[in-house]
Amino acid sequence: MRQIDKDDVNWIVRLDGKLMSITTQQKSLGIFPRSWSEDKAGRIPGNIPIWVGILSELTEFGIFFVAYFIAKYHYPEAFSEGPKYLHTSIGVTNTLVLLSSSYFMAKAMANIRVDNFKRCERYLWLAVACGATYLILKTYEFYWNDLENIHTNTSTFFTVYYYMTFNHFLHVGWAACAVVYVIFRLRSGAYSSKEHSGLEALAVYWHMIDLMWILIFPLLYVLR
Amino acid sequence: MKFGKLEIFWLGLIGITLLNTFVGENFSSTVLVSVLIALTVMYKGLVVIDHFMELKGGHKNLRFLMRAYLILFPSLIVVSAFF
Repeated sequence: MRQIDKDDVNWIVRLDGKLMSITTQQKSLGIFPRSWSEDKAGRIPGNIPIWVGILSELTEFGIFFVAYFIAKYHYPEAFSEGPKYLHTSIGVTNTLVLLSSSYFMAKAMANIRVDNFKRCERYLWLAVACGATYLILKTYEFYWNDLENIHTNTSTFFTVYYYMTFNHFLHVGWAACAVVYVIFRLRSGAYSSKEHSGLEALAVYWHMIDLMWILIFPLLYVLR
Repeated sequence: MKFGKLEIFWLGLIGITLLNTFVGENFSSTVLVSVLIALTVMYKGLVVIDHFMELKGGHKNLRFLMRAYLILFPSLIVVSAFF
């Protein structure tokens, strides 16, 4: 017999001429332990589905990181030499651009909470601009690599480099498109200080992409 | 632009990134350098989790998972310095 909590709704129904009480859950998906509920563990930024997505993405990148360390163990010379051939200044610039985009996204969230729609939209456009800058710089970096005769099969280091960076590139691409989508949602009045979980869900996803780059950057560009 | 907590963290993260790059460019990856880079990456990650993702004071299990991730993988940088 499970405990009844405040998310549950009691229904009085007539079955076979008898009045019966049925308790159903209203908000909980019922797939997580009760200790994970917002009442017990604290507020979930965004919504549960976006966190399922984020944890899946973290698992995917986690596999990349494990592959990186295994490959580095087996081919230490390739991983020591590889970063020297990369365009480090583009890597650094992209790191600063993504950190700034995260800051702009956090400012957008701060402004929606006080119903400052104009400033919220401005910060969202700045985040999109950062995303676009990242994509342009990364495309140029891949082009520059090609001119330098660096390809996916040049060494194990570059195989890992292309797997990680191109995968991350795709994430930035579709997340930037999603930011443009929420800007139009914002203009249509979908978000306010009272209801902005959709915007917040995108914000935490965007920060996750920034977090992955925070890990990727030192592994590929800094450590020799 | 009002200068608040978010601005301080933003500039701090940029400063750490530039420091990491300077260290990486000018020194070979000794154990000491690897530890320094791992610690700064951990710190950057924890700042983003707590203050940009707003998990500080948020859902404690999600915060634990995110923080564990950002402690585990930079720790492997230190481990890899020994082989």
